[in-house]
Amino acid sequence: MALLVMVGASACVPQAPSVQGRAVNQLYGIFAVIASIIFVVTAALIALSMLRYRAKPSDDALPAQFEGNVKLELIWFAIPTVIVVVLFILTLQKLDVVTERAPDPESIIEVDAYQWGWSFTYRGEGVNISGGPHNDPELVVPIDRAVAFEISAEDVQHSFYLPRLLIKRDAIPGRTNRVDVEIDEPGRYIGKCAEFCGLLHAEMNFVVRAVPPLEYRAWLIERKQDDGNA
Amino acid sequence: MVTLEHSVPRTAGGLLEWFTSVDHKKIGILYLSSALVFFVLSGILALVMRSELAQPGLQLVDRQTYAQLFTMHGTGMMFFFGTPMVIGLANYFVPLHIGAPDVAFPRLNAFAFWLTLAGAVMAFAGFLTATGAAAFGWTAYAPLSGDAYSPGTGADLWIIGVALSGVAGVLAAVNLLATIFGMRAPGMSMLRMSIFNWNIVVTSILIAFSFPALTVALALLWADRNLGSSFFEPAGGGDPVLYQHLFWFFGHPEVYILILPFFGIVTEIIPVFSRKPVFGYKGFVFATLLIGAYSFSVWAHHMFTTGAVDGPFFSATSMLIAVPTGIKFFNWIGTMWGGKIHFQTPMLFCAGFLFMFLMGGITGVFLASPPLDYFVHDTYYVVAHLHYVLFGGSVFAMFAGLYYWIPKMSGRMLSEGLGKLHFVLLLVGMNAAFFPMHQLGIDGMQRRIPDYPASFGYAQENLVSTAGAFLIALAVLVFFINLFVSLRRGPLAGDDPWGGYTLEWATTSPPPHHNFHRLPPIRSARPVFDERRENAQAGPEGGSP
Repeated sequence: MALLVMVGASACVPQAPSVQGRAVNQLYGIFAVIASIIFVVTAALIALSMLRYRAKPSDDALPAQFEGNVKLELIWFAIPTVIVVVLFILTLQKLDVVTERAPDPESIIEVDAYQWGWSFTYRGEGVNISGGPHNDPELVVPIDRAVAFEISAEDVQHSFYLPRLLIKRDAIPGRTNRVDVEIDEPGRYIGKCAEFCGLLHAEMNFVVRAVPPLEYRAWLIERKQDDGNA
Repeated sequence: MVTLEHSVPRTAGGLLEWFTSVDHKKIGILYLSSALVFFVLSGILALVMRSELAQPGLQLVDRQTYAQLFTMHGTGMMFFFGTPMVIGLANYFVPLHIGAPDVAFPRLNAFAFWLTLAGAVMAFAGFLTATGAAAFGWTAYAPLSGDAYSPGTGADLWIIGVALSGVAGVLAAVNLLATIFGMRAPGMSMLRMSIFNWNIVVTSILIAFSFPALTVALALLWADRNLGSSFFEPAGGGDPVLYQHLFWFFGHPEVYILILPFFGIVTEIIPVFSRKPVFGYKGFVFATLLIGAYSFSVWAHHMFTTGAVDGPFFSATSMLIAVPTGIKFFNWIGTMWGGKIHFQTPMLFCAGFLFMFLMGGITGVFLASPPLDYFVHDTYYVVAHLHYVLFGGSVFAMFAGLYYWIPKMSGRMLSEGLGKLHFVLLLVGMNAAFFPMHQLGIDGMQRRIPDYPASFGYAQENLVSTAGAFLIALAVLVFFINLFVSLRRGPLAGDDPWGGYTLEWATTSPPPHHNFHRLPPIRSARPVFDERRENAQAGPEGGSP
């Protein structure tokens, strides 16, 4: 039953609409299966030992007083070691996917977080989108193309978080973090601030709208003109 | 036979005695009482938070108050409940377990307690100031905790209060180490010590080496706020990430400070109630030492999303620490295997601990993997994980320890019926409160938010979680009723109500001022068990004329 719960939990992670997100989906799935097996086996052993060896009334004789078994202990030292080594190797593989930088991203978007809002600047395009609570900024990105986010903050620490894409990276004043994302399904994805940053932390949302590349180009041109006229 | 002779010191008697005592047992009880007070206070803060989160919208408190609530809930639980609870139990039972009359430095011991309490009161006194208590999270990340973004006296009171209790922790740890290394009774070699004491050795080392990093972080933060320095201010050349390094260099060992002693308690109780010795004593000690050593190399797994730390290194060390933690489960299972397990209340709480901590330990491995951490970091997934570890683990084991040891401390048994009711309510409440948080985190609900739009679909899980929180409160209420009633009218415990193994069961309940009139010979880790068995074997022969 616990297995079902854990596998169910992995199924409860929605499939991410991005290359990087799906790597996280896969890794989470593997972790969830291995974790479920460990949980079920260990919990079953605990339950079995409790049920099987519960004291019967009026049985006061001492059970056998054995104090250990070195061979057994070495085996169960080895088993978890092997498991974590496997999990670590899998982690390294997926870590490469989620941290890989595209050599030539379609756009580089400078993300600047502040109390309380976001400013997104399309580098070299002359487009900026910003806004805060009750005026959530909506940025547009192309699908099937890598987009690089260069994330920083103006005042306190924030965190750039796209729940449906299963990614997050801190926005730290004085530092820049880069995250590359390649979305492959058009849609509107909600973004949030994940690091507590003061009063309106919960309201620091934004929207990423993913559109086909041609539409994206058209949007950029239109937006540039709008900004130029403003 | 070893006989200990001591002159009986003068005592003040009455209430004054509690304020002036340097007896480790009285100081231990002071620690436990003050820890339980802050457990209740911090728990009430959590209830207000859970009430606010029960449905979308801001109903009960405003955003600023909510930030104070989660800041002081975490601060209270970690610094003024968890750590003092550990030190209190160690205070009472370390000298008893090693057959000593007191700790090495009794006055230092009293000083450390009063300093801890002063720190706790100071931090909570922030609620009485005009701008309220600290409101930057128990982690106090800079620059949010700087004077520009968190003006107000509450923040400074928080810094000084936490720093004081941290320094007090170091004093207590040094005292415990000196006691264990210097005051063991004849025959009590290191490898005959109780597993609880071994865990206190490692815990004390962790406190002694990790809390100074916290003191440094807080001192620099205080200087940034009040002296115009910029250790953590990027504008002045400082680095906010430096604060996080210092904080988590303390903060992750702190997690083990709050769990190792409870591993120790569980490892005392399971053998006694299984009528067997602990399975794999030396392996268990080795695993504990290994956890202590590893715990200083995993801190930056709290900082994967900063992008400023070496992910693979800290991922490897964080996963490795699961190994010695994991093998303890097999030691516990091996101890129960082939035994005759009596499910009185202390053992029930140990059973609850095993399942709940297993869950918390396993989700911890997910968080050790940077790609998964990028996904769930700073969400309710982490809140779920840490409460399975520190509530399902530490608090369940603490209640096991209290049901096991309060008869020794008070001389009276707690009610089994109320104890079982307490256990069932707590188990159901804890899972209702914290299990749904895994899903909330996966669905993107971030930590430390007072409100969420109805459209995000978090309402159902939050409602269940809030109901669970109130069940937990009910369970804790049952515990206090039990305590109140049983300490007055509970059946007398006698010296050894459980058939214990370790030396505290060789003396009266409560023990006399100097602890022991006589000690049994110490030839193994179970001196009281050995003597009981020898008496039982000698009994029939000695009885016949």
